[in-house]
Amino acid sequence: MTVKILAACGAGVNSSHQIKDAIEKEFKKRGYNVQADAVMVKDVNEDMMKNYDIFTPIAKTDLGFTPTIPVINAGPILYRMPAMAKPVYDKIEGVIKKENLK
Amino acid sequence: MQTIIDLANTIFKPIIDLGAAPIMLIVLTLIAWAVGVNFFHALEGGIKLAIAITAIGSVIGLLTTTYQPALNAFVKSTGINLSITDLGWAPLATITWGSPYTLFFLAILVIVNLILLFLNRTNTLDVDIFDIWHLSFTGLLAIYFGANLFVATVLVIFIGILKIINSDLMKPTFNDLLDDWENPMTTTHLNYMMNPVIMIFDKLFDKLFPWLDKYDFDAAKLNEKIGFWGSRFAIGIYLGIFIGLISHQSVKSIATLAFMAATCLELFSIIGSWFIAAVEPLSQGVSDFANKRLGGRMLNIGLDWPFLAGRAEIWAAANVLAPIMLLEALVLPGNGILPLGGIIAMGVTPALLVVTRGKIIRMIVIGAIELPLFLWAGTLSAPFITHTARALHAPGIPSTGLFSASTKEGPIEQFIAVLVGKASKGEMMMVLYAALALVAYTALFFWYRHEMMKRNQKYSDDGKEVADDVKFVPTHGAASSAE
Repeated sequence: MTVKILAACGAGVNSSHQIKDAIEKEFKKRGYNVQADAVMVKDVNEDMMKNYDIFTPIAKTDLGFTPTIPVINAGPILYRMPAMAKPVYDKIEGVIKKENLK
Repeated sequence: MQTIIDLANTIFKPIIDLGAAPIMLIVLTLIAWAVGVNFFHALEGGIKLAIAITAIGSVIGLLTTTYQPALNAFVKSTGINLSITDLGWAPLATITWGSPYTLFFLAILVIVNLILLFLNRTNTLDVDIFDIWHLSFTGLLAIYFGANLFVATVLVIFIGILKIINSDLMKPTFNDLLDDWENPMTTTHLNYMMNPVIMIFDKLFDKLFPWLDKYDFDAAKLNEKIGFWGSRFAIGIYLGIFIGLISHQSVKSIATLAFMAATCLELFSIIGSWFIAAVEPLSQGVSDFANKRLGGRMLNIGLDWPFLAGRAEIWAAANVLAPIMLLEALVLPGNGILPLGGIIAMGVTPALLVVTRGKIIRMIVIGAIELPLFLWAGTLSAPFITHTARALHAPGIPSTGLFSASTKEGPIEQFIAVLVGKASKGEMMMVLYAALALVAYTALFFWYRHEMMKRNQKYSDDGKEVADDVKFVPTHGAASSAE
């Protein structure tokens, strides 16, 4: 099964793509089949979220609705320090295991 | 310095003649390799950059070729001369990264950042390598208008230092807006250099219209209601229909304009993301290089601005400002841009959020007041942007017409770059104007710094953790007078 992750940032161009690429790379190493998409945070809506298992915005996000999927703040991935990114990956892996998404 | 560049140009002329894509493939690969990136990863980045430069040229060509006849007809039918095609920020980033000078400015700014860190003049390590293009754009603009490389470099360093100081000053406000006082994120993004100007209007608001704040509305609810109608492609379609109708095009042409605008705005973003992937190995290499030399010191991390994108006010203000900008563009004397690619004012609203701390009515009113600066700066920069884009020799870029961006970050810095460039030619009046502009810019920044330190002191007095060098009374050590 493919785990689908939605990354979001301001323009859907820079930070969210860095998050997407980093998550896909890390979870390939960890042996998971993960596919992430990067979008503009203003385009995220409830319908879009139904297509994903986990939401990884760049920081705390006020969407105007309560997400029904787990939300993990992925900002630390952008610090470019592996030790700071690891807790984010671990949290994502925790959700994958808890929700039995693998 | 210019001699070295000239000599290098002569030696490497056969490669230079190949155009920007092959040059940047070679240059980016070698530089990433030089900072310690694995050669094949460096090469991968270089190839992606060449592809992105080629692609962006083709999409610019697609948009301008489709829109130029309609814009000319628009001018004819309305008498309003808005014939500059608004590409938005992504193509400008691509065009700027297509210049080898951008890597030169990158190296200079990394060194400046490290020096400031070693001298304890900042706590920010800027890892947002991609956004170096904003300052490179400013330097290249100064060169286009007559500055030599030395003057342009001094200007870039000067603004670069102010940006880093600003990133420290804003840090407590970011913590407040994110409601996270453990947050290490800050940003040196150029859009926040509008803060001093916005703060003048914010202070006026405090004095004259504080009662307007009670009409602030729920920004997240507004965004939710607008939904996809405020998305990039939807706005492209509205503008295509608008331009088509005003310029008396046929129904078929209007449909073409609408869907072409939507297509190109989506493609610009997709190709923009290729750029991020292209410079990623270099970004990681530079960050590793800097981190190694800082010996594990705990620092603020300078990122791109969108860690604030979760604040709904940014998008609510951008949605409301889009039609306001269109109306302003139609009547603003001296403006030549019809907003298209830049109409979602992402380069405008984050600074409004930081200064007003989310007071949405203020954000909209001050945004509407400052938008003309962006339109004028975009108009002023259009010949430079067009010239630089054509110099890429990427296939598809048309040989006629002008293009620019309506909400390119750093409009004040663009005016200063033009003045500094013109002053470099030695004309006395221009030297005087440039000197006055630089003095006013610096004085305004230091007044803003004082105001931000007052704000930060209040955060500290409320028990929040604030670094000593961005407030008046140090938490540790002898207290100095606050006010």
